[in-house]
Amino acid sequence: MTSTGSSSDSKQKNKAVDSNLIRRLYIYLHPFRWLLLLALVLTLLSAFLGPLRPYLIQIAVDDYMAADDYNGLFRITVIFALVLVLETLLMIAVTYLTRWIGQSTLFKLRNAVFNKIQSLHVQFFDRNPIGRLITRTTNDIEALSDLLSSGVVNMIGDLFRIIFIMGFMFYMSWELSLVALSTLPVLFYATFVFKSKVRVAFLNVRDQIARLNSFVQEHINGMSIVQLFNREEKELDRFKKINYDHTGAHIKTIFYFALFWPAVEVLSSLAMALVIWYGGASALTGTVTFGILLAFIQYVRQFFLPIRDLSEKFNTLQSALASSERLFSIMDTENVVKESANPITPESVKGHIRFENVWFKYNRTEDYVLKDVSFEVRPGENVAVVGATGAGKTTLINVVSRFYDVEKGAVTIDGIDIRELSLNSLRSNFGVVLQDNALFSGTVLENITLGRDDISLETVQNAAHMVQADRFIKKLPGEYDFVLAERGASLSMGQRQLLCFVRAMVYDPTIIILDEATSNVDSETESLVTAAMDKLMKGRSSIVIAHRLSTIQHADKILVMHKGQIRETGTHQHLITVEDGIYRRLYELQYKDQAAVMP
Amino acid sequence: MRELFKLNHYFVRYKWSIILGTLFLTVSNMFLVWIPVLIRQSMDAVEELRATGEHHYDTVFDAIFSPEAGVVLAEYSVYLIGAVLIYGVLLFLTRQTLIVTSRKIEYDIRNNIFTHLQKLPQSYFSRTNSGDIYVRATEDVMRVREYFGPGFMYTINTITRAGIIITIMILVNPELTFWALLPLPFLSVMAYWVSGFIHDRSNEIQEQYARLAGRAQEAFSSIRLIKAYVRETYESKRFEAESEQYRQSKLKLDVIESLFHPLLSLFIGFSVVLVIWQGGMMVIEGMATVGNLAEFIIYVTFLTWPVASLGYTLNLLQRSAASQKRIAMLMNEPEQISDGDGSDHAISHIRGDIEFHNVSFKYPDTAEYVLENINMRIPNGKTVGIVGRTGSGKTTLVQLIPRLFDPDKGEVRIDGNDIKKIPLLILRKNIGYVPQETFLFSDTVGENIAFGKESAGTDEIETAAEKAQVLDNIMEFDKKFDTVLGERGITLSGGQKQRTAIARALIRKPSILILDDSLSAVDTKTEDKINDYLRAETGRTTLIVSHRISSINNADHIYVLDEGKIIEQGTHQDLLKDGGYYASMYKKQLIEKELAEI
Repeated sequence: MTSTGSSSDSKQKNKAVDSNLIRRLYIYLHPFRWLLLLALVLTLLSAFLGPLRPYLIQIAVDDYMAADDYNGLFRITVIFALVLVLETLLMIAVTYLTRWIGQSTLFKLRNAVFNKIQSLHVQFFDRNPIGRLITRTTNDIEALSDLLSSGVVNMIGDLFRIIFIMGFMFYMSWELSLVALSTLPVLFYATFVFKSKVRVAFLNVRDQIARLNSFVQEHINGMSIVQLFNREEKELDRFKKINYDHTGAHIKTIFYFALFWPAVEVLSSLAMALVIWYGGASALTGTVTFGILLAFIQYVRQFFLPIRDLSEKFNTLQSALASSERLFSIMDTENVVKESANPITPESVKGHIRFENVWFKYNRTEDYVLKDVSFEVRPGENVAVVGATGAGKTTLINVVSRFYDVEKGAVTIDGIDIRELSLNSLRSNFGVVLQDNALFSGTVLENITLGRDDISLETVQNAAHMVQADRFIKKLPGEYDFVLAERGASLSMGQRQLLCFVRAMVYDPTIIILDEATSNVDSETESLVTAAMDKLMKGRSSIVIAHRLSTIQHADKILVMHKGQIRETGTHQHLITVEDGIYRRLYELQYKDQAAVMP
Repeated sequence: MRELFKLNHYFVRYKWSIILGTLFLTVSNMFLVWIPVLIRQSMDAVEELRATGEHHYDTVFDAIFSPEAGVVLAEYSVYLIGAVLIYGVLLFLTRQTLIVTSRKIEYDIRNNIFTHLQKLPQSYFSRTNSGDIYVRATEDVMRVREYFGPGFMYTINTITRAGIIITIMILVNPELTFWALLPLPFLSVMAYWVSGFIHDRSNEIQEQYARLAGRAQEAFSSIRLIKAYVRETYESKRFEAESEQYRQSKLKLDVIESLFHPLLSLFIGFSVVLVIWQGGMMVIEGMATVGNLAEFIIYVTFLTWPVASLGYTLNLLQRSAASQKRIAMLMNEPEQISDGDGSDHAISHIRGDIEFHNVSFKYPDTAEYVLENINMRIPNGKTVGIVGRTGSGKTTLVQLIPRLFDPDKGEVRIDGNDIKKIPLLILRKNIGYVPQETFLFSDTVGENIAFGKESAGTDEIETAAEKAQVLDNIMEFDKKFDTVLGERGITLSGGQKQRTAIARALIRKPSILILDDSLSAVDTKTEDKINDYLRAETGRTTLIVSHRISSINNADHIYVLDEGKIIEQGTHQDLLKDGGYYASMYKKQLIEKELAEI
């Protein structure tokens, strides 16, 4: 009853994929296998107790009522009640147990997916919209919920319930059983037809819902265009058409359900009529007792429901497998930035950075963003990088911190290729201060320590004092416990920068990599930022993508990047004198106005 | 619940389907009740036949084909099948009337909401979260439908089925009825309590689910920071904590859900226990037959769902009511008055003289003015450039012309009339607006361009595309103008999108053309070509908002905006001579150009 009549070829391929998926899913269920087994045993037990009840009624009727035995009747009633209570307890236990297993499995799977995504290279995040990644860690996991929490166990339970019912029926009267079950092929056929029809109808409903919703969504977003172009009437007509199709799709499924549910009722009552007819005749000949008649009437009802529901459960299973396919495709994504086979963890790093003929591009099809870039930052040296938008400045940061790996050439620290270093030791030697997404909603303290417990409040306070960030922090309600809005929106630009400096300070890195904020800050904060940067860079090697005049003025060396290459190198005083130089023009463009602001 | 009654006029609209459906449902329950009655009667008949002992049958077939017993059994079976068939047909008809009607009502409600949405002013869209509006127009409508569909049907079903069955039960055997029904009130109370609990817990789970997704969102969007500071383990722990919390709240719900169905069958089971015990004693005493027992067991099963659904339906109605409340809030938003009392319907055409007279504007619910005391005169046929920093009020300024917003103080006049007096349809019909953020619909390119003009011909579409310099691109697509854009189709580049939007505006042959920074992604050469086309056509007033001086240096007049005020104005030459903000902006752009060419 599970075959859908689609072409057998693709079906077989599906089966192969499915069993593979199930095997992979089972890995997450494996730790709970004993509980799963227990759930299965309990399910079997309760699947037995259900059909036992009509049998007890049969005994009550034939052995005690017929014999006028009040005590026996009472005894069997008590037994009946006990069976009922036991079955209830078993069902409660099984349901909760399977749910518990399901939730625990989902918990593990969800964490595994999150950790896998988090561990992937930065490029992966450029290519996959965050919304999609969130869907993988939430929605797609949820879709597995039904399958893992109760799906399989329930299906097995239903199957055994059917078998037990048949067992009892045949035990009581095989003749009557055959008569009663003669409607079964019709039921199977009806279920089969219904399932294939309703599947198509459901797919259509889903499409129509998607179409309707995206039309609504799009027109809410583009309402100004609709109104500006006087399209209200036309768009309403289009909406009505889509809405009409949507309603039509639903009405079609209603039709199938309106047909199927009564059909099941009719069939099960038909079976009952057969029991009455043939069973009644059998009762007259004495081959069947009244108790058996009564039991059969109940069995017939008990029998039809699980079969009706089986087709529904099979659909749930299908959609769960579709989700797990998406999940495993994430789990199979290869990490491009790999840890070296024998990672080096140097005891101490002096901070000597060298770029040796580095070539890099983000996409295979695009032009190189870094073309043969070579430069050097000696221990303790402050290097400023300047250039127009798109010159390749930010790419330097991406490459040196191994968010991306270079294509040709190498980046070395103290003479060791960074690809040989362990990722942890490489990155923990850097204090990277980024321009975007550097703050998040959380307390000031969390934003600074990023949750590292070994950094004491005192250390944070000292660092904040050193870069004079404590002045504004102390004015915040709750000081270090003040909760920032998303992206630190509740703070001014300058304050946000200072917080990022405090963070870099407490992490105490050997090398500072800094992408300065482009936005202007007020002059008071400006001087604070300048002083803070001096403190931060003192005694450390640093690469700063400069947007502020004071930074380039104080730098030991300025690298002028242009279209992926380093075109000029030198100090501010030197470069400013180069006639027709790129630096001079950049200075005019980006920094000169700031001279007026400088104290 | 009062909210839902306000919707009852929909019932009136479909009164015949509703009345018919209710009738079908009631009558179907009358036939349903025949099943247990006939089973009892046939069992009693068999018992009687056996008790009299007049006939003896050796085999089952003897009995079946005997004139006495055979006829009786066949009769009852045929009756039973007949009753069930009628019941089935009526059940089918019930669903086909009641549920189908609820879908039709849903269709009507959706159309009403969409019609209303289209009439709301931009100020509504700017202050309301678009997600909220979306939910109202989609999910909330779905919930409200449940009031008309399952909500109504289950209520009627519970009333009629329980009414009929209990009446018959009492007629047949009042004492046994008492015992059989004893556990049912508990069942109903439990169903109500449980579905309420499930509702609360579901909300809690939804919130935790949102927190979990939020955690993932924050981690994934600050992935660089996490990697730079090697905080992966910490983030994992934080995610796992939310994940665990989610698991816990799910399990809390699971406890209740695990209890629900087993307890349901327990209560029903107790009904059966009581029927067997008390009924059994009655059978022994001769006060009842085994047929009665069969009958009552079936009654009880038939009552299970209606009684359980009582609680379920109550909760469903509560949810529908909450959704209806939200929809009503949307429907009560005042529509934009397109033609007020002051409208001058004599105005049927617009020449394109634009005047801003002491115009000030602030966005609703904000304190600061975005535009302050703006005065401008743009004679018809002229081209005007507007430049200024981001946030200086340029976009707001041009949005006032097609009345996307109305000024708080002062007047915008076109051809000497306050634009509030011009019928909105006429005003907008004569404006070609290209917004800053290009918005195209997920439709074909052709449809998107034709969006500007009702029943535009193919050649009109082509001409517009040509003027906007996008025709060549479109011709390169396999399906030309039939190429579908957006999610299900291809993604245009930023420049292609902007040019398509320009074509959409040009196809209207507007008296006033507004380009709000709409060439930013177009390269300068193409831009020049577009400008050449525009200049060749006279009689159109053009406003160009831009960051690029090269886009506007040929304009007849240029305004420089800063913090909502006009700080400089004049021709390109005038402004360069003044040596102000415009001049320095020009100089910087020259350097940028130089740099790009190195």
